[in-house]
Amino acid sequence: MTNIKSNKSALVVLILGLSTIVFPLYLTIVIAFKQPSEMTNSIDGILSLPKVWSLDNFREAMEITNFWHSLGNSLLITLLTVGLSILLHSLMGYALGRNKAHSKFYSFVYLFIVSGMFVPFAILMMPLAKQTAEMGLANWFGVVLLYMVFYMPMNVLLYSGYLVNIPMALEEAAKVDGASTWRTYWKIIFPIMRPMHATVAVLTALAVWNDVMTPLVIMAGSDQNTLPLAQLNFQSQFGTNYNLAFASYLLSLIPILIFYIICQKQILNGVVNGAVK
Amino acid sequence: MKNERKRTFLLITIPILALFICFNTIPLIRGVIYSFTNFKGFGKYNWVGFRNYIDLFSDARVGRSYWFTFKLAVVTTVVVNVISLLLALALNSKIRAKSFFRGAYFLPNILGSLVVGYIFNYFFTYILPAVADMIGIDSLRTSILSNPDAAWIGIMIVCAWQAIAMNTIIYISGLQTVPEDVYEAGGLDGATGWKQFKYLTFPLIIPFFSINMVLCVKNFLMVFDQIMALTKGGPAQSTESISYLIYNNGMSGGQFGFQSANAVVFFIVIVVVSVAQMKFSGKKEEQL
Amino acid sequence: MKTKKVKYLETALCCAAASMALSGCGSSADDGKIQIEIVQYKPEAANYFTTVEEEFNATHDNIHLKISSPNDAMTILKTRFIREDYPDIIGIGGDINYSYFVDAEILADVSDYAGLADINQGYLDIDEALKFVPVDGVYAVPYVANAAGILYNKDMFEEHHWEIPQTWDELIALCENIQSEGILPFYFGFKDTWTCLAPWNSMAVDLAPADTAKQVNRGETTFTDEYREVSEKYLEMLAYGPEDPFAYGYNDACTAFARGESAMYPIGSYAAPQILSVNPDLNLDSFVMPANDSADGNTLNSGIDLQFCVTASCENKEAVYEVLDFLYEDENIQKYIDAQTAIPCKKGDFKLPSILDGMTEYITSGNMTDYQDHYYPSEMAVDAQIQTFLLQRDVDAFLQKFDTDWLRYNRDIIRLVQEYEKQHGNAD
Repeated sequence: MTNIKSNKSALVVLILGLSTIVFPLYLTIVIAFKQPSEMTNSIDGILSLPKVWSLDNFREAMEITNFWHSLGNSLLITLLTVGLSILLHSLMGYALGRNKAHSKFYSFVYLFIVSGMFVPFAILMMPLAKQTAEMGLANWFGVVLLYMVFYMPMNVLLYSGYLVNIPMALEEAAKVDGASTWRTYWKIIFPIMRPMHATVAVLTALAVWNDVMTPLVIMAGSDQNTLPLAQLNFQSQFGTNYNLAFASYLLSLIPILIFYIICQKQILNGVVNGAVK
Repeated sequence: MKNERKRTFLLITIPILALFICFNTIPLIRGVIYSFTNFKGFGKYNWVGFRNYIDLFSDARVGRSYWFTFKLAVVTTVVVNVISLLLALALNSKIRAKSFFRGAYFLPNILGSLVVGYIFNYFFTYILPAVADMIGIDSLRTSILSNPDAAWIGIMIVCAWQAIAMNTIIYISGLQTVPEDVYEAGGLDGATGWKQFKYLTFPLIIPFFSINMVLCVKNFLMVFDQIMALTKGGPAQSTESISYLIYNNGMSGGQFGFQSANAVVFFIVIVVVSVAQMKFSGKKEEQL
Repeated sequence: MKTKKVKYLETALCCAAASMALSGCGSSADDGKIQIEIVQYKPEAANYFTTVEEEFNATHDNIHLKISSPNDAMTILKTRFIREDYPDIIGIGGDINYSYFVDAEILADVSDYAGLADINQGYLDIDEALKFVPVDGVYAVPYVANAAGILYNKDMFEEHHWEIPQTWDELIALCENIQSEGILPFYFGFKDTWTCLAPWNSMAVDLAPADTAKQVNRGETTFTDEYREVSEKYLEMLAYGPEDPFAYGYNDACTAFARGESAMYPIGSYAAPQILSVNPDLNLDSFVMPANDSADGNTLNSGIDLQFCVTASCENKEAVYEVLDFLYEDENIQKYIDAQTAIPCKKGDFKLPSILDGMTEYITSGNMTDYQDHYYPSEMAVDAQIQTFLLQRDVDAFLQKFDTDWLRYNRDIIRLVQEYEKQHGNAD
């Protein structure tokens, strides 16, 4: 195992790095509690603690964003996207990852899908707005479908990359026992990819949670808001209420942080170590 | 037996591929069609043939945005990968308060871009110059975001700050696939520290290295949010990224057709870059 | 292992779906009322419009009104246009987007709307001028305008007995005076490029023809000829601002000015709410940018901030006019201008916000000229070009680029204008 000395230096590096995170977080928190009249351009002004610690900003922010409603929409879209991504993208990653080395067709499909990652969203936006409306998908379900497509390249890339480290021997052993490929996948491969499921879940959830453009364009005029959409209310060209906005961003940060903490345990307690041996 | 396997793979691939084509390829083709028009994003439009493409190659602003974007992407990719690999190794070693650190390092990723923009603007505009003043570094006395030659560095810092968490997670999950006995065997051979990393750890996580490279290319070549949050393309149009131009002039402005052409060319460029990159790291993987 | 995970997932999905079913979609139960939808682009006025919507629905049985004030409304509008899902009424500014929409034939002719008679002719003329080429019909009903010039700290001015300048020389003398007392004359927030346009516009109306852009489109003049004085004077002004104006954004400048760090701030009336949010006690007033060398040559820079247009696809024009009648009731307009420090486009006896005191004379006499940037296509990024110019201080290079870029970005419009001229030119 790595020796104790390097652990200590690792700790020092980590603590130093931490300051680059603690400082912005501190600013975010104090600003979220201040009043607009407490905002200044001087350094001691910005660093100072708020005059009163009151939850009023949070309350008002929740009111403006219609918090529970927007949160519900955001949760629905995020969880559905994450769940479907884990199920479908892992399958696709499996099919492509296992075949792309020896089949021209799969190797082409793999490159075709992965290159989809680089299509600038702006070029798709107008055509998609039209297409989803024509298909009756100008709603949250359409948004989920689009996310399934947008994050497919990245997730397929991740899954098939992960598969490289999972030996074929495992599947062959199952086949000897007479299990079908489909069954083998769900029984053996899917559980083994658990760390990657968690990684995919985190990356996808994060991207979906913060995304503004897709729901803005697709759900335009539907009266439904996600949290990031609702948070746009705090800023306009001629005036931004940073205090309320920061309070609102702190609130919306909590669910995703909890989600991450749950997932990261999965990333770390990977079963691969035990299984591969 | 073999056929059953083939059939299963096809049954998985075809429907998912169909979904992908429906919501990615078809709208892309429609976008490509717009690139041959003077479409503003609404109303009527005319066919203009290759005018947009010809304009594109003579447009100095587009040229500058390519230079800026690639410069930013290359530097940020290197910075991010070095730091996140170090962090991943640190976070994967046996240290105290591991989960706390892992949680904390994730935070930059989830702060909304309004918050990140405000805080880093504040940092570059007020705090950094004040600190530079105190320790007497003249070149940093004014905000780097107001200096057309240096503003990209500010953007690079914020991009890296946000992206490191993501890349670190991927490296960590890669490190999980390295079986303990590799280290044990390596330990017997006397491989420690850098040697252990170079000859044992790194070769095993090369697939994750290539994933991270691709993600970096995607995130930084297509950089947009950080530009909007920090400089909105300024000062003196020195930080206009390609995506910024495509979105800002195509969607908000009336240049939808022209910027579609820009997007098409950009897409082709990025695909070429990343296919080359994947081929390269694919070769590395095979060498193992 | 797998089953447990899948179960978790299922539970989570079900919960989410249930919460959606409870929270989602309660809109448009068809109860025989005519549905009228307005999408307006000023999210900062959302509260006002919510009140209007409620009051309207409470007093009208036949029509159900819905007003949305989304952020990034232009994106939403364009998205909806491409879907052919047109709101009945759109609330937009009198800028180039309006010109595009007229050109694209998205808007309906409302010249038969009776309320037009009460609108200030000056604003109707502005809308007429914004059309790329003359088109029959009226396509917008102006609601409120804003004005740009110089905001100043009244208490500071009174304390030092500074006078409001009437000419460019007086302004420069005032700046020297202020500076000599150790106070910063101007604050600028040029990091946000759009703020570079505020002084630009208010100086350009004093120094260049109101229809400069249209003259250029007709090939009658060049920006190099018309904008040279503006550019030179702008550079002169820069000397009286903060040391590195490109480091500060709009928000920084508002905060600094509100905290008394400068005596004046060249920006529009729209900045007042943001400034006052930082310092509610600030005694804020404004005056017209005196860019001309003679006091008579100065004019107030004022343009349409919000106007309502009916879309061509709207089927219930009568109901729409009823909604407009309600919106243009004097007391509603008064409420709007109180909340947003705006200038009404309707004739009548309105109480103007006090921060416009210094501009009232120009407003009542109608000595106002539209923003030049309402004619600039946004993709040309004139704001960023001005920022570049202020950084590099090269007047010739800036103006030359302005002229060449203009031809490139307005190619289609210029062709349109020239075709029109060819057809109608002989008739003149």
